[in-house]
Amino acid sequence: MNESVIILSLASAVVAGTPILLAALGEIVAERSGIMNLGVEGMMLVGAVVGFWCGVHTGSLTLGLLAGGFAGLVLSLIHAVLAITLRVDQTVSGLSLVIVGGGLSAYLGAAGEVPLLERANGVAVTPLFPASFADLPAVGPVLLGHDVVVYLTVALVASTAWLLYRSSLGLSLRAVGEDPAAADAAGLDVVKIRYLSTAFGGFCAGLGGAYLVLAVLGTWQAGLTAGAGWIAVALVIVAGWRPWFALIGALVFGVLRGLSFTLQIAEVDIPSDFLAMIPFVAAYLVVVGISASPSRSRQIAAPAALAQPYFREQR
Amino acid sequence: MSVLDRIEVKPRAQATAVVQAGVPLLALLAALMLGAIVLILTGANPLEVYRTMLDASLNGQRAIERTLTFSTPLILTGLAAAVAFRMKLYSIGAEGQLFMGAIAASAVALQLPETTPKALMLVMVLCGGAVAGALWAGLAAVPKAVFGTDEIITTLMLNFVALAFMNYLIFGSQTFWRDPDRPVPQGLSFPEAAELPAVSGRLHLGFPIAVAVALLLWWVLKSTTFGFRVRTIGDSKRAARYAGVGVPGTIMVVFLLSGSLAGLAGAIEVAGVTNRLDPTALAIELGYTGIIIAAVARLNPIGVVPVAIFLAAIETAGSSLQSIGVDTEIVRLLQGLIFLSVTTGEFFVSNRLGWRAQAPDESLDDHDLQQAAAEPEATSNPALVGETT
Repeated sequence: MNESVIILSLASAVVAGTPILLAALGEIVAERSGIMNLGVEGMMLVGAVVGFWCGVHTGSLTLGLLAGGFAGLVLSLIHAVLAITLRVDQTVSGLSLVIVGGGLSAYLGAAGEVPLLERANGVAVTPLFPASFADLPAVGPVLLGHDVVVYLTVALVASTAWLLYRSSLGLSLRAVGEDPAAADAAGLDVVKIRYLSTAFGGFCAGLGGAYLVLAVLGTWQAGLTAGAGWIAVALVIVAGWRPWFALIGALVFGVLRGLSFTLQIAEVDIPSDFLAMIPFVAAYLVVVGISASPSRSRQIAAPAALAQPYFREQR
Repeated sequence: MSVLDRIEVKPRAQATAVVQAGVPLLALLAALMLGAIVLILTGANPLEVYRTMLDASLNGQRAIERTLTFSTPLILTGLAAAVAFRMKLYSIGAEGQLFMGAIAASAVALQLPETTPKALMLVMVLCGGAVAGALWAGLAAVPKAVFGTDEIITTLMLNFVALAFMNYLIFGSQTFWRDPDRPVPQGLSFPEAAELPAVSGRLHLGFPIAVAVALLLWWVLKSTTFGFRVRTIGDSKRAARYAGVGVPGTIMVVFLLSGSLAGLAGAIEVAGVTNRLDPTALAIELGYTGIIIAAVARLNPIGVVPVAIFLAAIETAGSSLQSIGVDTEIVRLLQGLIFLSVTTGEFFVSNRLGWRAQAPDESLDDHDLQQAAAEPEATSNPALVGETT
């Protein structure tokens, strides 16, 4: 495998990893507050279909992304009402989002006079930096040749990490996820913080879906996330609920997802179906490995109150 | 204090029969109404859509046979989810286990000599599917039982692996599963001995088998020690451990049982309907739909049967909608909405909502809290008691 193939695969890994990273970041914030939302795949799909619809009609990447984000947010609020207010089992509620989101997006994508299925992407995605930057050896294509969303996502990683660990809001959020009863007694509004975190998670997932369809794939297809949302959920565990580790993990998954393309160029003969398995096999192995590892430190343990409903009167 | 904090949840001591039966029906109605809203927004006539669906799935013997045929794998994946979820084991792996069951069943059907007696052949095919499903479930069951690995993630990842593997066998290679004489990739047809006999028109023997499995599972969960163990672990792991129930062992058994049911679904589907390994006909989310069915049936194996038939009716009706210009994907949306509204409805079966007259603890200050902590029994403010106990 020569040098240019490696550079190409790294560059495509950055783009392929961005939607997964966005969704995983949102899920980290939600899970840190104690709300496990398994509906990431559904929120990404609805974000993608709404974002693509908006992109096709306005031609604006920004509007498309924002619309996708809000669509994800709206869907996440269903989970918030079910899981926080009605205290429905969070696994069941999250799964229902996946099914509703999958059905809704597939139907919306196929409905109408000229369905989205047959529409071309009208959104121009341009690199943030001038073309001369991308011509720099190695660093150029891998780090400097991308659109603005990639850099904003990295900025979002930094600000999420800062928010979680360095701000009082982050302290409150983690307190609510670790011990809601104590947080409540200390005067924190558990319900409000959990609603906001879940909504943030939904917005990020919708944004990730919209970015996936508008900037990475370019055309709408039912079920186009093909498990990306589930990879994001796995990534949260793999990253130990830490934003910067999620960035590294998303890059690795990006490389694995892009492997089929890379290996084709490098003329390595592995059936494409096996290459498609790799990210999922990797996620399976890492999740099993983490749970089996004896040196599991407190650092990478899940939030103590994850997926446990909080009910003041039952304390 | 937000409005949400004023919503008060009161558990029902005992849900009356009216509530038990009425809430799911209302939930179903709500799902159909939500679906109608989406249909209207996209320019379709919901009444026409629902009438066409009813017609296509239940009007006439052939329609009913088609619906029951389609419900067969759904009954089994519904049972697979129900038995696992009953123990709070969130296996979402029926999808992949079904694929593995179909692959193994096809292998048995194609490899055994064509002269094998039909009964023996069919038993081998169905057993092969069930065993393969159980083994594939084992990949998630062993880490769960030994390390406590999150089964949601592992089963899901394995679904995608199984799907890619099945696609590889037909579309990506020249294995014995594939028909060598056809230019378009397609599975090799089974010998006649491996085809499930029909019981009525297109309805095959798989349907009575699935119903019998449902009855058997219902009896096992209700009346055997094993069933008691499963229910105890589902209600409280800690209590089960105190009672001497081997939790990891039971997790293993239930996980493998769930996997074998999903594998059996795959085997019955290839032996009864497709008669070859057909990835496109199998990868239609039969496994995921099973989760909806189990949830709507309140994890009751007998309840799974009518719910599966109902969802199958919706699904078989889907293809008829094209004639009136509505995309079949509405079917998946309706299924999702039914899942969502019935899940919400379950909450109202066991609880009811009320409004608090006043927000509970806004008036509390540190002084009150200290006082309450000092003499918790002397306080007359119920909100205060709730705050300190």
